[in-house]
Amino acid sequence: MPTTDGRRVAARPLAVAVTRGYLAAAGDAGDVNAIATADLRKSYGDLTALAGLTLDVPAGELFGLLGPNGAGKSTTIRILTGQLRPDAGTASVLGIDPVTDPIGVRERVGILPEQESPPSFMTPREYFDFVGSVRDLNAATVDERVETWADRLAYGAKLDTMNTDLSRGQQQKVMITAAFLHDPDLVFIDEPLANLDPIVQETVKRFLREYRDAGNTVFFSTHDIDVAADLCDRVGIVHEGELVTTRRPAALDGDRLLDVFLREVGADANVAVGESAGADVNASTDTDASTDADANADAGTER
Amino acid sequence: MSADRAVLAAMVREEWRLHSRLFGGRRFAAFPVFVALVGGLTAWALGTTGAETGTVVAGAHVLVALFGLQTGTVGLVGRDAMRGLLGDTTLVVFSAHTLPLRQRRLLGLFLLKDVGYYAVLLLLPLTVALAPLLPLAELALLWLTLVWTFGLGLCATVAAVSLATRGRPGKVVAALVACALGAAALAGLPIAAATPYALFVAPGLTSAVAAAVPPLCLLAVAALAYDPEHEPPARTAENAYRAWRRRVPAWDDPVFVKTMLDVSRSAGGYWKVLLSAGILVAMSAFLVSLAEAVVGLRVLPGVAFGSILGLTAFTTYNWLTQFDDGTAYATLPVETAAVFDAKRRAFAVLGLPTGVACYAVAALWRGAAPLDAIAGLALCIGLQAYLFGLTVALAGTQPNEFLFDTVLFAGFTLGVALPLVPVLVVGFVAAPLSAPLAAALVVAGVGLAGVGHVLYGRAVPRWRERYRE
Repeated sequence: MPTTDGRRVAARPLAVAVTRGYLAAAGDAGDVNAIATADLRKSYGDLTALAGLTLDVPAGELFGLLGPNGAGKSTTIRILTGQLRPDAGTASVLGIDPVTDPIGVRERVGILPEQESPPSFMTPREYFDFVGSVRDLNAATVDERVETWADRLAYGAKLDTMNTDLSRGQQQKVMITAAFLHDPDLVFIDEPLANLDPIVQETVKRFLREYRDAGNTVFFSTHDIDVAADLCDRVGIVHEGELVTTRRPAALDGDRLLDVFLREVGADANVAVGESAGADVNASTDTDASTDADANADAGTER
Repeated sequence: MSADRAVLAAMVREEWRLHSRLFGGRRFAAFPVFVALVGGLTAWALGTTGAETGTVVAGAHVLVALFGLQTGTVGLVGRDAMRGLLGDTTLVVFSAHTLPLRQRRLLGLFLLKDVGYYAVLLLLPLTVALAPLLPLAELALLWLTLVWTFGLGLCATVAAVSLATRGRPGKVVAALVACALGAAALAGLPIAAATPYALFVAPGLTSAVAAAVPPLCLLAVAALAYDPEHEPPARTAENAYRAWRRRVPAWDDPVFVKTMLDVSRSAGGYWKVLLSAGILVAMSAFLVSLAEAVVGLRVLPGVAFGSILGLTAFTTYNWLTQFDDGTAYATLPVETAAVFDAKRRAFAVLGLPTGVACYAVAALWRGAAPLDAIAGLALCIGLQAYLFGLTVALAGTQPNEFLFDTVLFAGFTLGVALPLVPVLVVGFVAAPLSAPLAAALVVAGVGLAGVGHVLYGRAVPRWRERYRE
C-alpha cells in the first residue's frame, strides 16, 4: 500500500469483531428490517425537511442515502437516532421506536454526525473513556478497542493531544472510533470520509464492507455519488424530503448512479453532459422511462 | 479603500446579525431602550441615595473601559472561544486565511467597527440615561469620552493579545505593564489624568492630547508585536478522566467529569470561577462602603455580602455550560436530565463552595456578628440554589445566549430582584439584627433553595422536549 510520501507499508488484515445480537434474536436475518420508516414528516417552521419518507433497510445491508444539500438526509438520521421528534409518521430501529425510546436506540447504534468534533478540552483517549463510561464498557475493553482503531487509522501518536489541537482529519478519525467503540449492530454515518486522506478513506471503506459482511447494518449518508456507488449494496435517493428511488449500484447494468441521481433530483441535463460521457447521458435522459423500467425490473427499484 | 469599505460594511452587518441571532431577532431592537432604562434607573437610584454626579460619571467611564477590555477579547482570542460562545462561527476578521487581505489591516478595521457599533448601540443610550444628571451641553462631550474610553479598553486588549502572540516574553511584558499600572495607581500617581475621563472633567487641548496618547501607544504596540503566523503549540495531557472517576466513583457520572475537565482545561482554569466571585466581592464591598459612607447606614455585612454573593451562581453556571449544551450528547445514550444533573453536581462541587468561601472571607473581613454571619450564610447558599434553578428554568444549558436576549434577561433581572432587593434592604437597615429576624432570614434562605429546586425540577422535562423539536 503506497503512502503519501511514496513509502510502502504492509497491508494489515482488518479484524472485525462484531456481534449479531439483533439478528440472532430476530431469527432469520433475511426477513428482518434493521430500519423501517413510514410516512415520516418533519418541518422547521415553513421549511419542509421530510415530506413523507418511507424506507426499509434490511439487517446486514450497507445502505446509502444520497441526495442534494437540504434534501432531508441529516434530518432522517436525527429522527432515526432519536435526536429529533418527527411531526408525523413512524420509525423503527432494531425493533425500537426512536420517538418513544431514543436512549434505547442510541444504546444499540453507533452515530457519526457530519459536522461534529470531539470535545475540545479532552484528549482522544479521555473522550473514548468518556464514551466507554456512557456505554458501560469496561476500561480494558475500551483500551483494547482504542488501540485497534488508533492502529487502523494511524493516529496513535495523537491519543494524548487535546482534541482542539487536532486537525479536522484527525478529529474525524476520533469520531469514527467513538461511533464504533461499543461494537454496535447498526451505525448511522454521515459523510464518514470527509477530511480523510485517500489511504485512510480506503481503510474505512474496507472496514465498512467487512463490518457489513459480519452481519451488521450501515446507514450511510453522503453527497459523494462515486463513494456510494463503490461502497453501498443499495442506494436510496432522497429529494425534497421524499425517497424518490432506490437502486442497487451493482445491478445498474450500464446506467450510472450519477445519471440516475441527476434524473431523479431534476437536475439540468447540461450538468449531466458536463459530468458524464455526453452521448450516453443524453441517451439515458431521452429514454428516461424505459431506463427506469429496466432498472425496476433488473434491480428491484421501488418508487 | 473600496476593499476596506466593503470589509467594514461586512463586519458591521455581521455584528448586527450575530447580535440579532443571539438576542432573539427583533428583540434586539429593544436593547438600546433596555440599556437607557436600566442606566437611567440606576442613575436615579444613586442620585436619591446621595451619590454625587461626578461619582456616577466616573463609574460609567470605569464600566465602559471594562466593557471595552472584554469586547476585544471575544473577537480576537480565536475561533475556539467563538465556538464555545456562539457555536460554529467564522468571522470576517479571520478571513485573511482565505482572502488577499492583511491580518493587521483586518484587525484595524475590526477595532474601528467595534468602536462605531458600540458607540451607537450601547454608549449613546447610556449617555441618554445620564441626561437627567448633566447639563445638555455636556452630553455630547460625555458621549465622546465614553466612546474614547471604550476604545482605550479595546486597544489595551488588542495590545495584550498581540503581545501574547510572541509567546512567553510577550506575556511577561504584558503582565509587567499591568503590574506597573496597578502599582502606580496604588502609589497615588495621577493615572486618570491620561484618560478620556480627565478630558470630560477638564476639557482642553492638554487633556485631549493626554487622553490620546495611551490608545495610540497601545495601537503601536499591537501593530509591532502582532505575529499573524502565531500558532499555539499542540497541548498534550495525561488521562485525567480516569483519575477523576476514581476520585468520585460513587457518582459514576461521565458528564460531570467531562464538565470539570472542560472548566479546568479552558483558559483560566478553576481560577476563572474564583475570579468571577472575586469581582462580586469587590462590587459588594463597594456597595456596602457606599451605603455606609454616603448614606450613613449601618450595614449588616453578613446579610449584605451573603445576598450579593448569591449571584455567583449565575457566573459559575455560565462557566459550567460554556463548552457544551443539552444537544451536545445527542449522539450518545445520555438523557437530557442526566446532563442537567451533571451540571448540578458540578455546581455543588465548584459553585457553592466558591460562593461560601468568598462569603466567609468577606464576613470575617467586615467583622460580621454571629447572628448576622449565620443569616448571611443561609442567604448565600439559598440564593445560589434559587438562582441556579431560575437560570436553568429560563436558559437551560445556554445562559450565554440568554444574557443577550432582552426579554429573557429582563425576566431574569426581575427573578433576581424579587428575593434580592428585600433581603438587601434588611441588610442595609435592620442593624443590629434581632434573633427573630435572623431566624426569618435563615428560613428565607431555605425557602429560596426550595423554590430553586422546584424550578429546576420543572425545567428539565421542558428542556428535554425542546431539544428534540
